[in-house]
Amino acid sequence: MKARRPSAFLCATALVAAGALPAAADDIVIGFAVAQSGFMQAYDEPATQAALIRIDEINAGGGLLGRQLRPVFADTSSDRAEGARAGLEVIEAGADLVVVSCDYDFGAPAALMAESNGKISFFLCAESVRAGIQGVGPHSFSASVLAPVQGATMVEWGHEVMGWNTYYVLLDTWTEYNRGICEGFDYKAPLIEGGEVVGRDTFVNDDASIAAQITRIRNLAEPPDAIMLCSMMPGVVSAIRQIRNAGIEVPILNGSGVDGSYWMDAVPGLSEFYIPVQGSIYGDDPDPAVEEFNQRFAERFGVRPSSQYAYPGYVMIDVWAKAVERAGSTDAAAVVAELEKMEGEPTLFGPRTFTSELHHQNQARYHIVKVDNGTPGVIDSWTISEPIPLDALVR
Amino acid sequence: MTRAPSVLARTFTTPLLLIALLAAIAVLFFLFGSGAQQRFVVEMLIRVVLVVGIWIFVGNSGIISFGHVGFMCLAAYATAWLTIPPMLKQISLRGLPDFLLTNQFPFWPSAFAAALLPAIFALIIGPILMRLAGIAASIATFAMLAVINTVYSNWSSVTGGTSSIVGIPTHTTLWVALGFSAVAIVIAWLYAISRSGLALRAARDEPIAAQASGVNIERERLIAFVLSAFVCGAAGVLYAHFLGIITPDAFFLTATFVALSMLVVGGMYSLSGAVIGVVVISTIIQILRWLERGVPLGDVTVALPNGSQQIAIGAVMIMILLFRPAGLMGNRELRLSFRRGPQPAPDREVRGKPE
Amino acid sequence: MTATLQILFDALSLGSLYALGALGIALIFGVMRLVNFAHGDYIAFSVFVLLWPTTEAVSILLLGQLPPILLIPVVIAIGALLSMASEVTVFRRLREANPATMMIASFALGFVIKHALLMAYSSRPKSISILPGLAQQVEVMGARIPLLQVVTILATIVILLALTAFLKRTRFGLEMRAAAQDFTMARMLGVKANRVILLAFAISGALAGAIGLVVVVQTGTADINMGLSVMLVAFIATVIGGLGSLYGAVVAGFLIGGASVLMQVILPLEARPFRDAFVYALVIAVLIWRPQGLFAPRSSRQRV
Repeated sequence: MKARRPSAFLCATALVAAGALPAAADDIVIGFAVAQSGFMQAYDEPATQAALIRIDEINAGGGLLGRQLRPVFADTSSDRAEGARAGLEVIEAGADLVVVSCDYDFGAPAALMAESNGKISFFLCAESVRAGIQGVGPHSFSASVLAPVQGATMVEWGHEVMGWNTYYVLLDTWTEYNRGICEGFDYKAPLIEGGEVVGRDTFVNDDASIAAQITRIRNLAEPPDAIMLCSMMPGVVSAIRQIRNAGIEVPILNGSGVDGSYWMDAVPGLSEFYIPVQGSIYGDDPDPAVEEFNQRFAERFGVRPSSQYAYPGYVMIDVWAKAVERAGSTDAAAVVAELEKMEGEPTLFGPRTFTSELHHQNQARYHIVKVDNGTPGVIDSWTISEPIPLDALVR
Repeated sequence: MTRAPSVLARTFTTPLLLIALLAAIAVLFFLFGSGAQQRFVVEMLIRVVLVVGIWIFVGNSGIISFGHVGFMCLAAYATAWLTIPPMLKQISLRGLPDFLLTNQFPFWPSAFAAALLPAIFALIIGPILMRLAGIAASIATFAMLAVINTVYSNWSSVTGGTSSIVGIPTHTTLWVALGFSAVAIVIAWLYAISRSGLALRAARDEPIAAQASGVNIERERLIAFVLSAFVCGAAGVLYAHFLGIITPDAFFLTATFVALSMLVVGGMYSLSGAVIGVVVISTIIQILRWLERGVPLGDVTVALPNGSQQIAIGAVMIMILLFRPAGLMGNRELRLSFRRGPQPAPDREVRGKPE
Repeated sequence: MTATLQILFDALSLGSLYALGALGIALIFGVMRLVNFAHGDYIAFSVFVLLWPTTEAVSILLLGQLPPILLIPVVIAIGALLSMASEVTVFRRLREANPATMMIASFALGFVIKHALLMAYSSRPKSISILPGLAQQVEVMGARIPLLQVVTILATIVILLALTAFLKRTRFGLEMRAAAQDFTMARMLGVKANRVILLAFAISGALAGAIGLVVVVQTGTADINMGLSVMLVAFIATVIGGLGSLYGAVVAGFLIGGASVLMQVILPLEARPFRDAFVYALVIAVLIWRPQGLFAPRSSRQRV
């Protein structure tokens, strides 16, 4: 029964919010237009739970501007049109902050709804530059880090620390997130000394087999120093397994989307696999406060975070609440102005910066997780030397 | 003995009744619904336009098409190209030709042009596809959908690739959607009673006999195909202006099956079936979502577990089909008869259509 | 030479999957004109039962703990049982309905199975490593081929041979072939419809279970949509092969697998993301060339 607890909790909260209990009129309402059912639910829930933890902390500490924070929920059912409606619903319930689905495609309808109503929207963990000014509009933010930063981090760290120079790039064209990782790689790779891409190929996430792509890697004259894989669940697991089963043992790099040990049974004895994470779920984060957070999360929801994608939810409420505090009101324009003043604002999961041009992180401190013999662990931390410029992000 | 009334006179009440039904729902929600509830009606009306568009081809020709949501995709992207402010286009859709990049067109002309694009596309590809019949034609339409989807997902410079493109002005209000669905119903009805529509239905039921009487099946199919592409295109225009955001993924398998399910549950050989199917399924979905969210019964709130809603929708659809295999409307149309004229004999393909 | 051999094995192993899928769909289409869109969900279901139902990210093996000698037949049996159950509860009652109605009913059934899985297991893919012995490489004439590919191809050949023997040599097989050729006539000649159709569903479901096994050994993941892409291609292969022709469905499955691998090999990098568009354009071309399919049985022509 443990497993049902989190959603049962959300459910209960939703009922309370829907008016089963009288709410104080001067509460600050945070509207979650996120998926509570369907495909996106598994991805929205952890970040939502992390957000709730921060909300409770703030409430326990006397609230925000002396008022209590009150979350309200509307289910997007993992459907776009329903998402827009969920956005409108939480706005009609008085939300000052509209929290939208983790994925850009699924969150954008609700975020646009918030934008057209002059409300601030925060994507739980979207990693496309469009989850912000460039797509939704000037009131929209994302709590996570841009996908290109992940690709750029891996190649720069790989070169500086591991001395890798030749790369094979394997792109899964399924989503914009995957393309984003590879774009970051492609921006950074020419900037490193001796960096060379020895081959490229593409596949699609649900391809039944990538045997042909693997044959092409094996036919290279020299094996590359590393394979830059730009893919995501579920196809990425299959790709890694097929690459390793084909006897290709070179290091594989990917984005944060593969974080978590839950899938590693699929590739027994996986080694030489590297990804960037915002914080470690493996109990070895350099900052003990992160592990403390993991334990609090586990106490409250029955399970530890299954991947780093819970963390942006916590960061989101944290930075927004600070901006509200500094603005002295929840007025959207004033809060946006305060958020845009944040430069290297410390959070539990690294510094965060927002500017009037970019409501997203184009440079971030990442921990590098290495999977060795099936066991993931943090081995290093890296921040790319230069932020990725805006015109490289917006094609 | 009096002369049998013309097709026009016998059937004109059907579109009127259907439009009246939709208008009644729209007015009801306009007066008493919240903003979020009104969006439910708009979404339903967009589906009406789509399903009626599909019906023009599927209902009259008897060929199941998996490709019509692709027409919606073409028109939705054309809408984006025509109506997104030039500033945004220059950022995200750089590959567009200059006159699109630097201009932004008003709603009506752009809507018409956008809906025309899939019609032209259908006119080009139709002569090839319409040579096929039965399930081979269905598979060919599916292949067409897959081609459209793959191209639009990867032609990043003009479609933004798999990422959603935003910035489409939101013009689709309740009344605009109602107007579009009314026009779609009238177009569908006019086609159904036209010479081409009658010929195509004759060819659907008795292909050999129809051919022997001089019906050029391929030509009639093509006319229906192009017309239905236009109407489905209009649905795409509405959708783009409704959400303000589009992605190729929204016009693929799920959307195709949802639309076809509504058509078949309503009754695929009847225009009223197309409309009723959308209204009934949309309503059931909404009721189930509402139940899932929780219904206060006195002191306790009863809620279906999260996720059970989708299971229930599938189960309800199966039940409807088990009890009414030819759909809710069967082959009949909603109709008021002022006079007991000769009723058209029920079509006999309620069971076992030639495929 | 080794490169060509490798490509050949890639094509054959992908083709095998599609061929098994096409066979499963063609069998049912043959006896009752049903395009079964739930087939992909049978594939996913027979894999998910290997896992303990939990919405948490970790996966715990349930039936997956069985030794291979039991595991393989159990998964195949589960596919068969689910398929038979769907015939008894849904399709039997729709036998007289029009093909579009049956198709939509099968889609609705697949929707129910999929969302039941989603509720029990969440949409997150579950990792699952069974039959680890198949993860090795073997040397075939200088080319290094994953053992799984060899096993998949061999298993497909065995299944095809067994099925051919069954259809040609047994009474059930004869009845089924008769029913696929001309169902009404077969019934008049004393073929018991329920029995034949149930058997067709059982074999079709068993094939779905077999595909599930191959896919899960290959990917190491159970995902609720894992059967979808195989099913869609299989569906197309059934039509291209010539509806009603089991032999044609199998050949077309191999052809599509081959075309897909070949496109991946010969297309330039810029065009590779468009691979599926080329494959589907080819499908349209084949249909125009042979509207009745490549191996249409004579019975599929329209009779006047």
